[in-house]
Amino acid sequence: MGRKTPLKFAILALAAVPLLAGGAVAADKVTVGVIPIVDVAPIYLGVAKGFFAKQNLEVTLQTAQGGAELVTPVMTGQREFGFSNISSLLIAQTRGLDIVAIAAGASSTGETGRDFGAIIAPRESPLKSAKDLDGKTVAVNNLKNIGDTSVKAAVRKAGGDDSKIKFVELAFPDMPAALSNKLVDAAWIVEPFLTVAKEQGAKVLAWNLVDTAPNLMIAVYFTSGKYAKENADTVKRFTTAMNESLAYADTHADEVRAIVPTYTRISKEMIGKLTLPRWPTDMNRKSTEILADLSVKDGLVTKKPDLAAFFR
Amino acid sequence: MKGGQTLRQAGLALGLPAALLATWWIASSGSANFYFPPLQTIAQTFVEVWVSPRLLDDVVPSLARLAAGYFGAVVLGLLIGIPIGLSRALRNTLEPVLEFLRAIPPPALVPILILFAGIGDTMKTLVIVSGCIWPVLLNTVEGVRGRDEVLEDVTRCYRIRGFARLWHFVIPSASPQMFTGLRQALSIGIILMVISEMFAASNGLGFAIIQFERSFAVAEMWTGIIMLGLIGIGLAQVFRLVERRMLAWYHGLRQSQRAGG
Amino acid sequence: MGDSQRRSDAGFRAKNLAWMQASIGLIGFAAVLELAPQLGLVSPRYLPPFSVIAAALANELQQANFWAALAFTMRSWAIGLTISVLAGASLGILIGSSAWLQAVTRSTIEFLRPIPSVALIPVAILLFGTTLQSNLVLVIYASFWQVLVQVLSGVQDVDPVARETAQSYRFGHWALIRHVIWPTTLPYLMTGIRLAASVALILAITAELTIGTPGLGRELSLAQSGGAVAVMYAYLIVMGLIGVLVNVAARGLERSIMPWHPSLRSEQPV
Repeated sequence: MGRKTPLKFAILALAAVPLLAGGAVAADKVTVGVIPIVDVAPIYLGVAKGFFAKQNLEVTLQTAQGGAELVTPVMTGQREFGFSNISSLLIAQTRGLDIVAIAAGASSTGETGRDFGAIIAPRESPLKSAKDLDGKTVAVNNLKNIGDTSVKAAVRKAGGDDSKIKFVELAFPDMPAALSNKLVDAAWIVEPFLTVAKEQGAKVLAWNLVDTAPNLMIAVYFTSGKYAKENADTVKRFTTAMNESLAYADTHADEVRAIVPTYTRISKEMIGKLTLPRWPTDMNRKSTEILADLSVKDGLVTKKPDLAAFFR
Repeated sequence: MKGGQTLRQAGLALGLPAALLATWWIASSGSANFYFPPLQTIAQTFVEVWVSPRLLDDVVPSLARLAAGYFGAVVLGLLIGIPIGLSRALRNTLEPVLEFLRAIPPPALVPILILFAGIGDTMKTLVIVSGCIWPVLLNTVEGVRGRDEVLEDVTRCYRIRGFARLWHFVIPSASPQMFTGLRQALSIGIILMVISEMFAASNGLGFAIIQFERSFAVAEMWTGIIMLGLIGIGLAQVFRLVERRMLAWYHGLRQSQRAGG
Repeated sequence: MGDSQRRSDAGFRAKNLAWMQASIGLIGFAAVLELAPQLGLVSPRYLPPFSVIAAALANELQQANFWAALAFTMRSWAIGLTISVLAGASLGILIGSSAWLQAVTRSTIEFLRPIPSVALIPVAILLFGTTLQSNLVLVIYASFWQVLVQVLSGVQDVDPVARETAQSYRFGHWALIRHVIWPTTLPYLMTGIRLAASVALILAITAELTIGTPGLGRELSLAQSGGAVAVMYAYLIVMGLIGVLVNVAARGLERSIMPWHPSLRSEQPV
């Protein structure tokens, strides 16, 4: 009896340690689908800095190439959250998928002359501005999406005719080569390829994201309506951690530039030269309204997206 | 009796497919699943989507590129394969390189080909050629290499050389194996036709399907898949007919061999 | 004694010659790859010299993500191939052992077989996203037919006399399969496995390229996104080498199981 008691105490003490150390409960595991690009640096930074752990969230980031690959797993419940460009989400919503935006993703800098995306043309090209794109071939990364919408908006803003532009779908990495080989007249391109193209001598015709809407919010973090309803608290915590990450990234560019090479193949030298997007914490409903109207006008969608449901 | 037999044959041929289609129709009829709409909806959408200018805008260019790429690959494969098959030195020298190049998955070449050939029809045709050439080439080499030795001696005795030897002996001898290669090349060609249009395209069947998928137009996407299936089936049938005519002598020979001759 | 010595010498010399010729071919190929960009025949931005590619490859081999990607690809390949072979072989033998089943399923098989596996890519993306299942959908769909068709060919090649003999001895269904059908079908099954092995690898990589599931195909795509052209070529080389290895291994397996059967196993022109 006397000899067994210390052992019993030891076992009890050992059993109590995890209960005491872990705080209240084990962290909630969530997976987030992201595209391995500069835009998602905030969430990588946030995970590294522990903002999500602070909200009791254990975040696993899974990369995908975009579009349906990000939306479907969230809608079927395989993933909790996703990051996607806002046009894709609006289109999906008009098709009947119940998508809820929960945090801002990335936004244009809003500054003409310094943004992370632009319409470019080869140096020798006779094109001078977006107005000259009438009847020309422009490369975008996805047809019937934010690329052609914003290019058309830029053309209209410059006073040109946007109805006869020929859009071709090309992946961003292939655009500099396509431009220099004269396969297309112009291209909408984003970082890091914007810097690559500029280094090869391309010139900027217009800053289309700036021209589309002020401080255009180009991407958001989202979840399904079902998940939002059943896990309102988790969503709230995710949004809080995400906003903290966004604010941090927006003010700590050097740390952003340090973390990007860890999840992309962008080299350290290259990342120093890129223009970073802005990461405001408020979701820009105004720019989304404008985008929604443009989507209807340009035929991306057959009916207007329901922004009230989208931002609930 | 004849009528009964034909009926029976038709029943056997159509029975299982009809049963499967009926099952699909019934099982999906009340479907609220976003990704599997009712077969009825898909059927209606099929007519809307494809019985339209889209047939000319998307399907015809796709098939045209497929034809160009396929026949280009066939010509190249035969032109290169026959000399290699005939010469042991060439075979030994080139075989490792060819085996290596063949093992590279053709879709992986698309990004590279875009660098070289741009984004237009040339690139897509090159993608198809780069994939189709291997079965044609390698089966041609095999077929030429395995030509009947006795017949070879006969041609030597009768001093049949050069083009006559090629046309009357080497090629016919190798043709069953060549046709195997041609058939494989056809399936690969269809696959590459679709893949080449997924990357940097502005028209085509593969392009249309991917655009539907990207914009979550699920019913339309399914109709595209069905269209692709129909094309695959159709081309396979055409190929069979052509092969049966060209290799009639071979099939007859094997049949009599198997019957125990 | 002298005669056979001379013959084996000749054989040895012929084999030596073959090795030399093969080496010349490979070295020549590498030389072309090195010189063409150096001499400006091709732009070095689009085809880096072989030495640059080799350096990129050496660098990749030291990265953890390379080996992880390789493991992912081989995992899809192995699982997909195994399922295809098991399903294809069992279904093939089952169908082949009964004339009625053959007749009923023939049209369905002919309908479904030519449907290109890539048609399923959008479905896979929609349903499974970038998971292993996506890869498997494509891999299994494509490889299954390779095995099934070969096994069916094999079953049809069964000696009708043997089959009838078995029937007159009242072999049951199982005994018929075990003693008559299986031995004849085995070489065809081996061919089917070899074909399915290459197809499975190609589809696994294609799925990774187009859908974005983790693996060599996705690394290639990431390299492209990052503008790392030499790394792209490095991955192409890796894919080629693995393809060759798979093929050599499959042929080795074939030879070890059927050392006495090389001539009959060429693909049937059906």
